[in-house]
Amino acid sequence: MSFLSLDNVQKAYAGVPALRRVSLTIEAGEIHALMGENGAGKSTLIKILAGVVAPDAADIRIDGKPVSIGSPHEAHRLGFRFIHQEFNVVPALSVAENIFMGRRYPTRAGVLVDWRTLNATARDALERLGITHIDPRRKMAQLSPGDQMLVRISSAFLSEPDAPARLYVMDEPTAALTRDESERLFRVLREIRSHGGSVLYVSHRLDEVMALCDRATVMRDGETIDTGRMADITHDDLVALMIGRKVADAYPPPATRRPGGTALGVRDLSAGDLRPVSFSLAEGEILGIAGLSGSGQRELVRALFGDLPMRGGSISLAGKPYRPFSPADAWQAGVAYVPRERRSEGLMLSRPIFENVTLAQLSRQSFGGSFLTPRAEQRFAAGLGADVRLRSTGPRQLAGELSGGNQQKVVFAKALSGNPRLLLLDEPTRGVDVGAKFDIYTIIRDMTEKGMAVILVSSDLPELIGMCDRIAVMREGAITEIVAAAGLREDDLLNRCYGRAPLAA
Amino acid sequence: MSIGTLLRRYGTLIGFALILAYFWINLPDTFMTARNWLNITQQLSMLMVVAAGMTIVMVMGDFDLSVGSAASLSGIVAGVLFAAGYPTWIAVGVALLGGLVGGAVNGVLVSFIGILPFVATLAMLTILSGAAFVLSGGKTISGASIPAEFAQFARGGIPLGEIGGVAVMLPNLTIVAACVVFAVWVLLEQTTFGRRLYAIGGNIEAAYLSGVAVRRLKLIAFALTGLSAAAAGLMYASRVASANPTQGSGLMLNAIAAVFLGMTMSEQGVPRILATVIGVLILGVLDNGLTQMSVDSYIRQILVGAIILLAVAASSFSKRLRR
Repeated sequence: MSFLSLDNVQKAYAGVPALRRVSLTIEAGEIHALMGENGAGKSTLIKILAGVVAPDAADIRIDGKPVSIGSPHEAHRLGFRFIHQEFNVVPALSVAENIFMGRRYPTRAGVLVDWRTLNATARDALERLGITHIDPRRKMAQLSPGDQMLVRISSAFLSEPDAPARLYVMDEPTAALTRDESERLFRVLREIRSHGGSVLYVSHRLDEVMALCDRATVMRDGETIDTGRMADITHDDLVALMIGRKVADAYPPPATRRPGGTALGVRDLSAGDLRPVSFSLAEGEILGIAGLSGSGQRELVRALFGDLPMRGGSISLAGKPYRPFSPADAWQAGVAYVPRERRSEGLMLSRPIFENVTLAQLSRQSFGGSFLTPRAEQRFAAGLGADVRLRSTGPRQLAGELSGGNQQKVVFAKALSGNPRLLLLDEPTRGVDVGAKFDIYTIIRDMTEKGMAVILVSSDLPELIGMCDRIAVMREGAITEIVAAAGLREDDLLNRCYGRAPLAA
Repeated sequence: MSIGTLLRRYGTLIGFALILAYFWINLPDTFMTARNWLNITQQLSMLMVVAAGMTIVMVMGDFDLSVGSAASLSGIVAGVLFAAGYPTWIAVGVALLGGLVGGAVNGVLVSFIGILPFVATLAMLTILSGAAFVLSGGKTISGASIPAEFAQFARGGIPLGEIGGVAVMLPNLTIVAACVVFAVWVLLEQTTFGRRLYAIGGNIEAAYLSGVAVRRLKLIAFALTGLSAAAAGLMYASRVASANPTQGSGLMLNAIAAVFLGMTMSEQGVPRILATVIGVLILGVLDNGLTQMSVDSYIRQILVGAIILLAVAASSFSKRLRR
């Protein structure tokens, strides 16, 4: 008998089915992968498990006994623990308080918070992940994004005798983690498995999933397509199951066009924590930026985009001096930017697609620079939407109603709206499903064919190697080397990021 | 369309229709008459102008608490200049300019210095109110020092003919309010300026990264709100032919309430100028009808507050049902 079984789960939003007929069984002592593109229904299924969304129909059993999950509180009592992708932290509270979020604080005399026990228990939860460098009493706001993620994950490992944890649901837990931190998390998950606990694991990082999980269930268009043992399936089969067709290559073929004249010249640029960096970029070239998180990649892009004041050095764009003081200057000069955080930095979710697409070029897309021409704007946005293979009901659909991959395409459409000379991409495929990823790679390639220069910041090393002409490695705010991408091996690139000598071949 | 969607989109309008029907039935002879409606539009013209200005900043997700005292101050400034013998156009011009500058100061505090609008405009409310008392010496400026042409403006209008032997006219104040609403409609709905304000309200960080000059636009928006408050103050002063340092104080809360009522009518809960107009009309009609029915003014306050709560609660409740 399985530990947890879900059968015939159905859910529709306003008549549109999100889950048609979903079945999932999770055994005690297994790490189970839940796979599927964005919009396949994974989030809805997880929300049902979490008691956040009520299913229209569902047969949910634990140890064979039917249960209903009416609220997050009940889910917790059943022993379910969740790490959400967009689970928020409270920056003004301490690490320990964040770990105890939604749980009862230990008390003395029934009313006073027992801070000593609170902090000690939180410290234990952190130590399960091998984390000793985070003081539970520190304010959340003082932590780096990676450390904040570790704290969120730790909160799932808090020991609670009244409601012992039986299932950990992890939605993209490694998105903001370094490789070492991810490895530590995997060790903990394997330890949980060996003690009979279960994990439902969601990630777009296929290699990670294949190495970690015992079985996988693949979802597509709101249905569970197949469940199987990880050992019996290949990487390509898994991708084919998820997107419903075969893919030949993960990356489109390299550009046929030779890189042209110099598009961007950077000399001794320094800004923020960025130490003087110099490089140049040809028209039609893609320069990758690799490095451990927080090595200065973001500062470099933000300085080029006018968001971070330059302290020194000079930049030339298409042969002309370029010194942006604001993002507006950058757009004006033909520099476009796809920010890292799509929802908080890239989109106005409550506004229609076309308003998002035309915002950066609104003066040009209006009458005399002042008066709106919504119809022309919608045609323009629909054209760009077709270029980026956007799937929507039309330019008037709200951006917030789109799946993650399609939202990212809207951000791309905006970036391409002014035919930029230079395109700055910061983690452009983060949280984007396989199908949309390939579309985005194709868009980038098409643009370089037209002579656009691209800077691609990514923590996805295969992506850098597959897409870029050259890769600049950053460490502690400086570019340590620039290497050709062709023939580069992933472990080699990783070693360069860590500053270790390349392994002797 | 489901009943839920219907209620969400049109609940406030349906409520408005019910209010109209109620007064029509209970005041069969006086409520639904051209004369009464022209009277209503005149009564609420000041609120309309302030609410239109308030809509501009609320589109960005900000608000301005200082509009009431800005209105009082502008009346006092004009009154003091009248008393000192300056021509009408100079006094009016200086008062309007003062509103624009005061609003711009709000804008600088909020966007360049980064003070929360609540705090910045609350402090401004106190400062402007104090300034109005200092300038006027705490007294009402009235009588001979108010020029006749200024006082006549609010009493005048465009003659529309006779109904039942009595001359009716479209009041000047109503015309001014309509012009302001039209100008704000063009600004918010038809220009890139308005679109960018909505973008700021949608996601300020994304707007900034898309090249929107967030700080400059905020400054201009607050300045326009200040200007509208000053205009309303002058309209008030003209209507009562006097200037008093507290006469604008009721405007701020009613203007914010009107915008909120309007927001319940839009799909995304964003302020729209035409929705604000409905919000103002609801408040104006309630005031007019309840006064005619001789309802005590304190009871009136309770009823108005309850209706605002009801509308906003119904709107947020139906939004939650959609989950």
